Amino acid sequence: MILAGLPLATLLTIFGIVGAGVVSLYILKLRRRTVAVPFSLLWQKILKDKEATSLFSKLKRLLSLLLQLALLLLLVLALGDPRAAATLIKGRNLVVLVDASASMQATDVAPSRLASAKDKVKSMIRGLGGADRMLVAQMDAMVTPMGPMSGDTGELERALEQVTATDARADFPRALRFAADALRGVDNAEIVVVSDGVLGAAEDATGGVHLGDTRLSFVPVGTGKRNVGITQFSVRRYPLDKSRYEVMLEVTNTGPEPEDIELTLLGDKQPVDILKLRLKPGERLPRFYPQLSGASRTLEAKIKPLDREHDDLPADDHAYALLPERRRAKIMLVTAGNTYIEAALLLDEYLDVEVVAPVNYAKKAGGKYDVIIFDGATPAQPPRTHAFYIDPRGPGSPVKVGEEIKQPGFDKLDRKHPIIRFTALDEVNIARAHKLVPEPGDKVVGASAEGPIFVAGTRAGFKFAVLGFDLREADLPLRVAWPLMLLDTINWFTEEDAGYLSSFRTGDVWRVPVSTPQVSAALKRPDGQIEQIPVHEGRAVYLGQRAGFYELTVPQAEGTPPVVTSFAANLLDEAESTITAADKIEVGGKPAGEVASFHVGVRREIWIYLLLAVALLTAIEWATYHRRVTV
Amino acid sequence: MGLIDAFRRSNAPAKKADDDDLFDDEFQRKLDYLALVSRRVFAGRMRAERRTKKSGSGVEFADHREYQPGDDFRYLDWNVYQRFDKLLLRLFEEEEDLAIYFIVDASGSMSFGDAKKLRYAKRVAAALAYVGLANLDRVSIVSTSDKVMERMPQTRGKARIFKVFRFLKELEPAGHTNLETSLKAFVAQNKRRGLAVLISDLYDPAGFERGINVLRYNKFDPFVVHIVDPNEGKPKLNGDVLLYDCETGDEREVTVTAKVLERFQHAHAEYCEEIAKFCTSHQVPYTRADVSVPFDELILRVFRRGGFLR
Repeated sequence: MILAGLPLATLLTIFGIVGAGVVSLYILKLRRRTVAVPFSLLWQKILKDKEATSLFSKLKRLLSLLLQLALLLLLVLALGDPRAAATLIKGRNLVVLVDASASMQATDVAPSRLASAKDKVKSMIRGLGGADRMLVAQMDAMVTPMGPMSGDTGELERALEQVTATDARADFPRALRFAADALRGVDNAEIVVVSDGVLGAAEDATGGVHLGDTRLSFVPVGTGKRNVGITQFSVRRYPLDKSRYEVMLEVTNTGPEPEDIELTLLGDKQPVDILKLRLKPGERLPRFYPQLSGASRTLEAKIKPLDREHDDLPADDHAYALLPERRRAKIMLVTAGNTYIEAALLLDEYLDVEVVAPVNYAKKAGGKYDVIIFDGATPAQPPRTHAFYIDPRGPGSPVKVGEEIKQPGFDKLDRKHPIIRFTALDEVNIARAHKLVPEPGDKVVGASAEGPIFVAGTRAGFKFAVLGFDLREADLPLRVAWPLMLLDTINWFTEEDAGYLSSFRTGDVWRVPVSTPQVSAALKRPDGQIEQIPVHEGRAVYLGQRAGFYELTVPQAEGTPPVVTSFAANLLDEAESTITAADKIEVGGKPAGEVASFHVGVRREIWIYLLLAVALLTAIEWATYHRRVTV
Repeated sequence: MGLIDAFRRSNAPAKKADDDDLFDDEFQRKLDYLALVSRRVFAGRMRAERRTKKSGSGVEFADHREYQPGDDFRYLDWNVYQRFDKLLLRLFEEEEDLAIYFIVDASGSMSFGDAKKLRYAKRVAAALAYVGLANLDRVSIVSTSDKVMERMPQTRGKARIFKVFRFLKELEPAGHTNLETSLKAFVAQNKRRGLAVLISDLYDPAGFERGINVLRYNKFDPFVVHIVDPNEGKPKLNGDVLLYDCETGDEREVTVTAKVLERFQHAHAEYCEEIAKFCTSHQVPYTRADVSVPFDELILRVFRRGGFLR
């Protein structure tokens, strides 16, 4: 027998104090009222007959005290919540992983798979044995324990109610590792997975999950299979015509039957295209929408089955994207005259270009420009804005210009750098260039065998790029790569990336680039809730699990208005769209078993019986007192 | 025992009876009435001339007996000697007035409760004494507990009734009952035998019989007036109590239940019955005086019952 409630020492203290009180009251009760009589001999005479019964009378009195102490003992024991050690050892320790991934929003079982899963867990909770303990955890892109490990049914049911579905896939290996850690060193450990089985393999980058002796049980949820979902959706502006954009999406029929759907593309909430499609079982249908225009900000794709209101999983029937924001950039071109540069700048109608001769630069330097391009000229003082230096010579260059290199080429390129994205610079011929000496922290974007000739970096908070040769001494301006590279560079400066990621995927950790001296930013979620998220190394970090449009408000230095950035998030996960419920799962090659022996109403808690005994004894005492048996 | 209990105990017997109206005008009118009634009851008998059984120097012939050397020659019946040649002595009944002793029990138990018993005993003693005085008997009153406490010397004549009142008024309850020792002292102090009216509740731990027997064995004519308070037979008690004797202070723990009360009532009645039976079997006139009965009714009952002033 063990005590699950108050410890023994506390119980003894309570019993000692209250017991002393009871005995004291009992002694006080025995103080008799004194009454004078005229002739005590008569009393003596009748009491002589009672002498024989006085022993029984004393015994009855002692029994009365013992009864009161027994009542106290029972109450104190009830406070201790005693339980049979055997039942405790046999009691199970359960971690219930409730799948809250996107597929659990499927409505093939009314009202949803998640609601059905909750009902099943609830019946498990109500069937817990007196010694059983359970922890309810939500399993989605992360794993969240909803409460402590407990045997209290009310507490567990409250924890279960907090489980909500997400638009992300479940991180099954992480959830299993969490459960295994929670149950480490505990007897009769059992992990119960309540899911539709759309979980993927129980292994990740660190390898497979090993549960050891922990028993794994699986409670399947869901029966449906029919579903069509949007599994890809992206949009981008054309680099050379940012007023236009193209959309690529993919629709997948993950069910076993052919499906007729209606696909609607919305730009800024207005229909851009409506299309009826028929998908064969398992068919992936990519759609490409080129040369679209009109929408300036949001793009959404929706699918709807033609034969019913919605399919079994509405969560993947809607996808979101944001077009990169377009705004006009003010450019100063400091050149003695360079048609290649001026022509390339004409390609972007959102650029306001001002050409300034090097001699007039000093006069114009105080103006507000987003980018300054120095062509063969170098300012005495670095400008207070982003700058692109082409063939710098003077001392004002952000990097040291070294010796001349004859006929260099781009032998090494940092192809991931945004300023040379989508360009082919390998074949560029250069008559001569100057070797650049980057400072620590600078990025070498392109280099010949002799040394760097294209460097990018940051000085005093402003970005710069340095090209180590004169355009007129290379065939670069004659290539398509040149205007792309120039516009990419300007976009990099102004953070208008042509390769802007149109949406994030739910379930991933999003790292949204922000420029702020603060350590946190306010994120407005699709449901309107606002939460503070951390900013680390120039990126706001957030694990998003909801599809939709997000708005990130990034505070700036004092006196500067905050910068608001928007982005979209989508499920876009074919595995989650495949809602075919599995009736078994395997971990480490071992199939999960069935959950057994949950019987409603088998909780055996001794304290209840102790209180019943107290009530019974009190009733007996009451009855015997009023019948003058114990008086 | 706590202070409160001690305080209660010290106060319980101290509840002194209000004796101012003990012998008020109403009482005295009743005494006159009783005296008249007594004359009617004892009509035809000689007043103040009670013939005793012993022979003496009276005028009325009683009997003969044989002459013994030393007898007074004057009482020889010469006629009988002449006729039968035997010396016989003439005996005469001696004439004397009767001595009546009222022995009032003034022990603690008589003042139990609101001292009803003692008040009643005083009234009964006063009434009977008045009748005795009115009949020209010699009346004496003593109060006893375990000894003779107060004593009113013999007196006679109706006018002395106020002396009786004063004496009775001044009686204070004290001590515990021991009839044997107190009556032994009484007989030792009173050589002249007579009627001894014992007015008591007879709560004697040593036994009431011993006291009565002391009177019997010493040639007194005992007359027992047993004062009984009916409430004492039906005490209003319940639960756990500590009983203590108001005379001896003996303590006893009792849990009073209905059954115990019933047994006590039975024991009390049995005790009273035992007294009556004892007196009857020993030809001692006995009257049970219930304090709830008006005293004049009791006196009349005493007269009718006989044994007093015969």
